[in-house]
Amino acid sequence: MSLVDDLRGVLSEDRVLEEPVELYLYSRDSSLMHGEATCVVFPHTTEEVAEVVRVAERHGVPIVARGAGTGLAAGAIPIDGGIVLSTTSMNWVEIDVANRTAWVGAGVINLDLSKEAEPYGLCFAPDPSSQSACTIGGNVANNSGGAHCLAEGATTSHVLGLEVVLAGGEVLVLGGQAPDMPGLDLRGLIVGSEGTLGVVTRALVRLLPIEPDVRTLLLDFDRLSGATKTVSDTIAAGLVPAALEIMDQKMTTAVENWLGAGLPTDAAAVLLAEVVGDPEAVEAEATLITRIGKDNGARHVQVAKDETERAILWKGRKSAFGAVAQVSPNYYLHDTVVPRSRLVETMEEIEEIAARYQLDVYNVFHAGDGNLHPLMAFDASDPEMMERVHRAGEEMVAACLRRGGALSGEHGIGLEKRDMMRADFTELDLDAQARLKEAFDPKEIFNPAKVLPEGSRCFDFGGVRREIPDGAWL
Amino acid sequence: MAVTGAAGSGPEHLAPADVESLGESLRQATEERRVVQVVGGGTRQGYGSPPPPDVVLHMSGFSGIEEWDPDDLTVTVGAGTPVSELESLLAGRSQTAVLPEVPGVSTVGGVVASGVSSLRRARLLGTRERMLEVRLVTGDGRVVRGGGRVVKNVSGYDLPRLVVGAFGSLGVIYSVCLKLWPMPPAAATVVIDDLEAAGQVTRPLAVLDDDGVLRVFLWGTPEEVAASSARLGGVTTEGHRWPADPEGRYRWSLRVPPALTGAAVQRLPDGWRHLAVHGAGDIRASSEDAGSAPALRDWAEGVGGAVVMVAAPSPGVDGFDPWGRPPPGLDIQRRLIAQFDPARVITPGRLPGGI
Repeated sequence: MSLVDDLRGVLSEDRVLEEPVELYLYSRDSSLMHGEATCVVFPHTTEEVAEVVRVAERHGVPIVARGAGTGLAAGAIPIDGGIVLSTTSMNWVEIDVANRTAWVGAGVINLDLSKEAEPYGLCFAPDPSSQSACTIGGNVANNSGGAHCLAEGATTSHVLGLEVVLAGGEVLVLGGQAPDMPGLDLRGLIVGSEGTLGVVTRALVRLLPIEPDVRTLLLDFDRLSGATKTVSDTIAAGLVPAALEIMDQKMTTAVENWLGAGLPTDAAAVLLAEVVGDPEAVEAEATLITRIGKDNGARHVQVAKDETERAILWKGRKSAFGAVAQVSPNYYLHDTVVPRSRLVETMEEIEEIAARYQLDVYNVFHAGDGNLHPLMAFDASDPEMMERVHRAGEEMVAACLRRGGALSGEHGIGLEKRDMMRADFTELDLDAQARLKEAFDPKEIFNPAKVLPEGSRCFDFGGVRREIPDGAWL
Repeated sequence: MAVTGAAGSGPEHLAPADVESLGESLRQATEERRVVQVVGGGTRQGYGSPPPPDVVLHMSGFSGIEEWDPDDLTVTVGAGTPVSELESLLAGRSQTAVLPEVPGVSTVGGVVASGVSSLRRARLLGTRERMLEVRLVTGDGRVVRGGGRVVKNVSGYDLPRLVVGAFGSLGVIYSVCLKLWPMPPAAATVVIDDLEAAGQVTRPLAVLDDDGVLRVFLWGTPEEVAASSARLGGVTTEGHRWPADPEGRYRWSLRVPPALTGAAVQRLPDGWRHLAVHGAGDIRASSEDAGSAPALRDWAEGVGGAVVMVAAPSPGVDGFDPWGRPPPGLDIQRRLIAQFDPARVITPGRLPGGI
């Protein structure tokens, strides 16, 4: 029997797609790369996922799990054929109010989880900018971050347990509501493994109480260093605000032109700060941040008067990437991290690199944790420009690594950055990573060719090599 | 490399001074199939049931701060550094690594390897959430790094978190980079009568039950701390004095769903002492005998928790597994460990399932 017939045997006919237009759509995610899907499946249950895994192994065809496809690192595209397993039909939510946890299907949309939890006074902390579309399964795969990472940690800090389908269709339930479950923390290893170790079908997540009060402030500065110094001084004063986001002038202007939210387009940088907690706490903290900002040259400090004003300020931040779409047909968004003390010099070098390649770069970043998102606007119909974008991007990543930074803070490695892993890790480091993969997935069924560069496993001469095909980039 | 013990009279004691000699010791142990015990402060050697060691590796040679810029909220530190030394240094700049508050002679590496956490974990999370980078030497002598020295990083598999609570089974940790937390200017402790009262504060730093005395630990701006303690209404003292884990012939770690922390305390047999972290499901207990432990474990495992024997007088309790019910995925745990410690020389038998 053919692969598709076998899959239709374990799922229903309408849950296995193979029309060319469908395959085309599912061979892409939100990155600038694309691959080639053999078919797309929509399992409803964990047992169905296990069946799909067994069929895939029988046919020797890889499985690429996919949530909403909002990933920016080409983690969810099949590189040279494979079953795309969409988790979107697995969308159960079961909330345990007393323990402040929820079992959540991999296909549940991030924001929907917080909406379901809201009547109980609870919320899910990780909030990537794509939260109205991205799924919990995708968040788990990429250990997604968001604006609230510094204060609350990324997804891994909020995943207490996982139900996962491993090689051979074995189903394990790992971790649980109790802390420190004995044995190796397999749950923690699977979070952030980008679907390369198995398929996560459900996650047990921690929910946080919705804070009783919130203050959102917008500070604008003549100099970027004033904004970053305000961030440092705020933290040095013992505060960890719920969010500390900076936009540079170009980005602020793009957002303002689109939204008309009254943002100061003549400022070199704007800082969005948010504090949460009991009413006395937020009042005192907002006052302190205002004073620190003014000491560092803030021209104006705007405090959102009500929820409507707060929503407008956040809309500006969260739709920054959409705003650039108004300016240019395509953009390439990078994701790197530097130690916070090196933010200003790194930003200056990024500007310099962009200027050298004659590119427009827009900056919006999580200033509290040094997570940069330089965004280059370009026109993909111009191959020469595309080449410049790539080369500038590589130099920007190198500039961050040279300052003790990391390749990716929250988007993942996927296919996009896997060959840059050698710039950050030694052969033995990568070999150790490849051994982790091998222990879980010796036949390379799960999302092959992602995260680790080919040949990472030292002394290994067997197996299929999967180079990135020439046409994979847009 | 210093040899501090004589051959023929028990295990050989080594205190490697650098990564090369640490690697050489492990390579040799793997070649000769000698059982290695790794010692930081020596406070957490009671877990599991490992055989007597042939070699004892002391980590005192890997002590000290490697890199610390307070603005970055990270510190890179040798595994053999005493926790108390690190925390007092950080406190000088109003920062904390959120490691255990009463560490005794525990080292950073020992705390990470045994996976014990701070009493502030309900608010600031456990030791695994501090981990940014780990450097270790595998059982067969390979030097491996995972993670990086920035507060946010998703480059590759999360080796830094995997080594927490792995008891060195993936290799001997010699350096870690930790995420720090700034300490706000004000702190206070309030004694309360019943747990319900603690609900007056949205996210207190800690709510502890120390042998029946309930205390809420607060910190923040002076305005916040004053308002919170007024709302709680109990006897307030300035600052924090953290209780130590209870001591006894037997030491236990109970782990239950957070909402059952109080229920777990009520189920402790008569004569057991306890320190319970509310909101975290983490109860540290001690006792003079182990007779009632099986019944307590039946209950804890029934609610998805565990009762772990942290220390016991030799030779332990007949028929009572120190870890309890084996965790899921033992096969995959064995395969993983085989990739890092192929001859299984680093305290075999320490982990659940006799691994």
